Amino acid sequence: MNEELLHKYLNNEITEAELEQLKATDIFRDYIQISEFTSNLQAPAFDKESAWKQLSKKVKKESKVISLFNYKSLLKYAAVLALIVTGFLYVTNLSTTLTAPLAEKKSFTLPDQSEVVLNAGSKIKYSKKSWDKQRTLTLDGEAYFKVAKGETFDVNTTQGVVSVLGTQFNVQSRGTHFHVTCYEGKVAVVFNTTNIQLSAGDSVIIEEGEIISQQKVSTLQPGWMFDESSFENKPLWWVIEELQRQYKVTVTFENIDKNTRFTGAFTHTNLDAALKTICMPMGLTYTINQNGNVLIYGAN
Amino acid sequence: MSEHDNVCKETVYNKLFQTLSPSIYNFIYFKCGNVAQAEDLVQEAFIKLWENCAKVPQAKAKSFLYTVCNNSFLNEVAHQKVVLKFTKRATPHINEQSPQYVLEEKEFEQKLNKALSNLTEAQRTAFLMNRIEGKKYREIAEILEISVKAVEKRMSQALESLRKEIKNI
Repeated sequence: MNEELLHKYLNNEITEAELEQLKATDIFRDYIQISEFTSNLQAPAFDKESAWKQLSKKVKKESKVISLFNYKSLLKYAAVLALIVTGFLYVTNLSTTLTAPLAEKKSFTLPDQSEVVLNAGSKIKYSKKSWDKQRTLTLDGEAYFKVAKGETFDVNTTQGVVSVLGTQFNVQSRGTHFHVTCYEGKVAVVFNTTNIQLSAGDSVIIEEGEIISQQKVSTLQPGWMFDESSFENKPLWWVIEELQRQYKVTVTFENIDKNTRFTGAFTHTNLDAALKTICMPMGLTYTINQNGNVLIYGAN
Repeated sequence: MSEHDNVCKETVYNKLFQTLSPSIYNFIYFKCGNVAQAEDLVQEAFIKLWENCAKVPQAKAKSFLYTVCNNSFLNEVAHQKVVLKFTKRATPHINEQSPQYVLEEKEFEQKLNKALSNLTEAQRTAFLMNRIEGKKYREIAEILEISVKAVEKRMSQALESLRKEIKNI
């Protein structure tokens, strides 16, 4: 009972009457005296201000560690951000590739409204982003350009560069063969260290870096634009390569000198007719087998 | 965790130090009776709180500090003999008391200090938290992570041994 009152007293929850009751016992009177005296004691003073000063010094040192930790976690976001940015830049700088597959001609409009027609088995590459600053593209194959008026327009090929100002021209770049024909305006052809100017109706054929022929053309557009390939004094293998591109067929030879020269044209719309126009003048025979492949052989 | 709950905020951290550091200091002093050690452990505990500020919500900071202090105290291998030096708070009517009373009181104070030093650390801490800091049993139980019944027991034991030593029984 008194034990309970003692705890009430120590917890400051005792009533006057209860306290009197508690004090009636000697032991508990002593307990109260000790308790009262003790509650008037104090520990040696704690200097909060100087303790805080000392602590903040240490914490500031610590916070370097903390900020490093934060910096590290920031790195994660920075890495992701960098990835997004580079990805974005990569995509926007990614060159655009236009392709005309075998047996197909494709017509495209470039960002400046210049028109380009790709002959079968050709492709051009350009950067959409830098097009405004620099009208430059790379050609592999054969293409006809109708360039909108403006600054220079460059066609890069492995054999040379064709630079123009608002004009229409055809560039054929196949293997070591480089054939440029200008149909309107002026064209500059730069290859190796040579720079030649073509006016409307001029055509130049460059083979392995050498001009082999310069001639006039009377047509307003290259023949292939009207589904016809024409040749002048071209080796047979060259003609057949073009045939393979236009018809997506494989041609095999038998008993034939592939360097026999051919002058003429073939249509892109009828394989049988095309083969006839090539083979008949040269005294050759051909067959088309079931899977569409062609065998050409010499008449013995 | 909401923003103003965050101990990492310097204003929050400072406020915690201002309100809690004296009690923490007393707590350690009651245990070891060594001012320097108490000051060191207070600092250590608050540094730990800062290091873990992101993990400790403001409401848990108090028990975090007490626990850290207690652990570091227990980890300090050499426990010297405890010599407490409590002094009597200045009371307003002291001059009206007779010289004999003052002398007796001085003697009593010395005896009490010695007796307190001879208590077990557990009894002393609980007893002084109640007497000097005026903490209720419930709060002491919470801080020491023991039951209220255990606090009662420690208080009774403390008073019993203090009386015996002072009265030379």
